[in-house]
Parts: sequence; C-alpha cells; structure tokens
Amino acid sequence: MTMLQSLKNAVRQRSIHVCYVDTGSCNGCDIEVLACLSPRYDLEQYGIYVHNNPREADVLLIIGGVTPQWEDKLKMVWDKIPEPKVAVSIGNCPISGCVFSRPQTLTRAPAKSYIPIAAEVPGCPPRPTEIIQAILSVAPLIFKDWELRR
Amino acid sequence: MKKTVDVSIPLGPVHPIFKEPCRIKCETFGEQILAAEVELGYMKKGIERIMIGRPWQEVMFLAERVCGICSVIHNFVFIETMEKISGVTVPDRAAYLRVLANELDRMQSHLIANFSYCYTIEHETIGMYLLNIREKVMDMLEYLTGARVTCAYIVPGGVRFDPDSEDLARIMTAMDDVERETRRYMSMFDSGPLIGLRSKGIGVMTREQAELIHAVGPTARACGITTDLRSDHPTYQRLNFSPLVRTEGDNYARVMLRFQEVLQSVELIRTIIRTLPEGKIRGGGTIGRGETTHKGEAPRGELTYRIKSDTHGRVQEISIQTPSIMNIEACARYMIPGVTSVADVTAAYISSDPCIACTER
Repeated sequence: MTMLQSLKNAVRQRSIHVCYVDTGSCNGCDIEVLACLSPRYDLEQYGIYVHNNPREADVLLIIGGVTPQWEDKLKMVWDKIPEPKVAVSIGNCPISGCVFSRPQTLTRAPAKSYIPIAAEVPGCPPRPTEIIQAILSVAPLIFKDWELRR
Repeated sequence: MKKTVDVSIPLGPVHPIFKEPCRIKCETFGEQILAAEVELGYMKKGIERIMIGRPWQEVMFLAERVCGICSVIHNFVFIETMEKISGVTVPDRAAYLRVLANELDRMQSHLIANFSYCYTIEHETIGMYLLNIREKVMDMLEYLTGARVTCAYIVPGGVRFDPDSEDLARIMTAMDDVERETRRYMSMFDSGPLIGLRSKGIGVMTREQAELIHAVGPTARACGITTDLRSDHPTYQRLNFSPLVRTEGDNYARVMLRFQEVLQSVELIRTIIRTLPEGKIRGGGTIGRGETTHKGEAPRGELTYRIKSDTHGRVQEISIQTPSIMNIEACARYMIPGVTSVADVTAAYISSDPCIACTER
C-alpha cells in the first residue's frame, strides 16, 4: 500500500459527508436523523457532516418506502454522488414498507431494488445512536483501499 | 395579463434546506420574487386507502404514522373520533395524561420547527441549543410513553401507562430546565440584531390575507387571528387554556410565537401535574358503528378526521385534513411573493413549519 493510499484511508475515516433523501416516509425517521445533529449525539465529533447535497456526499441515507415519484429520481440522486459512495437505509420502510406494505398502498419498497444498499437500520423509527453506529461501521469498510480494489 | 419574468427558479425536491421533498417554483424579476408555486406529490403513500376496511386496532397505528413529528395528536384525534362514535367515556386521570403527552409532543414539534428556521437562516448555534432542549423533552416523552416518536400512548377509553408520583416529579424537574433554557435562547433570538435583520418584516402576511386563505395554527395566530381548537377541548377548558396571539405576521412573529407556546406548554404541564386527579387510567368500552367528524389542534393547526365505521369497529370511510396544506398555500400565495431575495424564500417557507408527510399522506 502506498503512502498516498494510507493517507487517503486515514482521512476518509474521519470525513464523511452525508446526504439524505426522504422517499416517502412519515417523518419519524427524518427527525431521528435530525436528532443525530444535536450536541447530545453530536455527529460531527466523528467527522460526519450532514450536507444534503448529493454532489458532495459520500453516504446517502434513504428514508421511506419508495413512492412512484421517486422510482427514477432515486437512481438519479444516486448517480450524482461521486465515487466512492455508500447507501444506508434508515427505518423499516426502505426494507419492507413497514405499515405501508398493504394492499392499496402506493409505496414500492424495497429501496434496494432501485440502488445498491450497503446497510439497513431497522426500527420504526431507529434510535439516533443506531443510525450513527450504522454510518460509522459501514462507511470506513467501503472507503478503505477503494482505489486498490477498483 | 403579460408578466415580465427574468428567470423561473426551481428549488427542490432535494435541497439542502428541505427536510422533506417538495418543489417551489419561483418567478423572479432580478432578486425580487413575483410569484411562487409549491409542487407537491413526492410523498403520497395512500394511507387513507390502506386504512379503509381495517379494524381500528390497525388504523390506530397507521393514523400515528400519518405524521411522525406530531404523532401524538394524530393518535389523540383518531381515538377521540372513535370514542365520539361509540360513546366511550374517559376517566379524568386519563384525560389529563392525554393532554400531558400531547403538550410534550407539541413542545418537541415547535422546538424542531424553530431549529429548522434557525438552520435555514444559518444561525446554527441557536439551532443546536434548541435541539438539545428538544432531547430533554424527548426523554420525558419516552419516559412517559415508552417510545420517542411513535408512542401509541392513547387508546380508546384511556391511556396505556400510569406514571407514579416519582415519574411526575421527574417530569416537573425537566420542565424547570426546559423553561430556563428556552427563555435564554428565546431572548437570544429576540435580541440578536442579525436574526432580526433576517426575520423582521420578511414573509409578511396580513390578517386579511390569512383569513382569505384559511391559514391555521401558529401561522394564523402570528397574524392576529385568535384560533386555537384547544380552547374548545373540555380538558383544556378545565386547565384554563387561552390561545396566544401576535400581530406582526412576519417570520419573526411565527418563530417567537412558537417559543411562547413552548413556555405555555410548560405551564400547562405544571398545572396538569399539580392537579392530576387520582383514579383509573382505563375506562373500557366497545368501539361501534357510526359516522362523525372531529377536530383537534395539531402543532401546525387544525386537524380534522371524518370516520365512518361499522359494527365491529372497522373503518369504512376515512378522510383526514391536515393543517399544513393551508399553510403551504398561504406561503406560496402571500408570504413568498414580495420577498426581496431568493435566500429569503426558504426562510419564509420554513417559518410556516410545513409538514409534507402529513399534507400528502
């Protein structure tokens, strides 16, 4: 491993930019993601910065069972994120549709049928600590030695 | 009529400021906004369609998930509608505990709305302080109901858990902290010169305009309209509730009104804990057949449920009217046109505290 690569690995572990898209949730998971920003949980001490701009993001948080409007747009948002990138789904909705997975629903879960998802955080909604733990455990794995593995 | 428009600027659906997807199309002339249009439809999940034909035990949890931020009031109004249909009565202690849970939920909703506003005007410091107070309120909500967001605390005929005197004392202590800190950050918001520049006189809606477009909740009360459905609620009437009103009608008034309502909620919670009657928390009863309309005051305004149920308590028809749709319309029609820069569009929009998830359901 070159020195440059080890430098990149070290830097990427402590600098994770997050973008989140709400593809039709009930807002419950949204406010738990916002709660991660609060000084009590303090996302930024781990080097995570919530940006909400796909073009600058490393991690995409997906919230909500995918609604028809988002079917193509979710892929578009994912394509805009520069490599290396990772998608984490928050809550039960992107996994199974949760309570919305019933006859007559308009949601089209799971989210992983549209874009590759590296980690899923179940819960309705998950606690902020679980969200932080998921981001911190999956992002360094994906970003480590990314240039070598490409 | 021919309009001279420079550029039509779309904001959203993925935008750094928006917590939820929606699209604001602004017609601009230089930096001046001439007209705005809010395009919805990114969050339509069809909850009402899912609810039809299901027993109330399932619909109760679906109703809570209409909106995650104000989940307690959706639970509250849905259960009250079902009780009104079937003539189920609630013990006094349960009625008080319902209001206690609802006030805690209102506080956290107002605090996150004010956080969003401070975040939008790039004053992250106050925003973070507010999130910290909100965590204290969320702790108390979890302590009382067992969950942070979707609590399902209110059931027909009563509530789920009964706090003992030690629990109530703990909530009382937390309220002292919340009040002290809210007053501190409220005065920071009030006296900060840059906050005033960014908020006063921006996104102004007059009382006449608010009446014309049927604005509800804090957005209407910040324009001088005394409308609060809590003053019609029997438990709130016993607590001597009276709505708060401001008259400026700008961004500043809306945010300050929410701060004042947080302090009012603190006072209400103290009154509830001091005067909480002893007794049972579950009365019992059966949900039956009927059709009715019931209203309640959500953190964002008037919330209406119209339900028709059959003899087994299954929901046959349901329609929900949530407050944000009126406020979003008021925002697009009166608040955003006339602001002098594109940067103020998002500030004016967020100050009306829109909730897209419950608007589209």
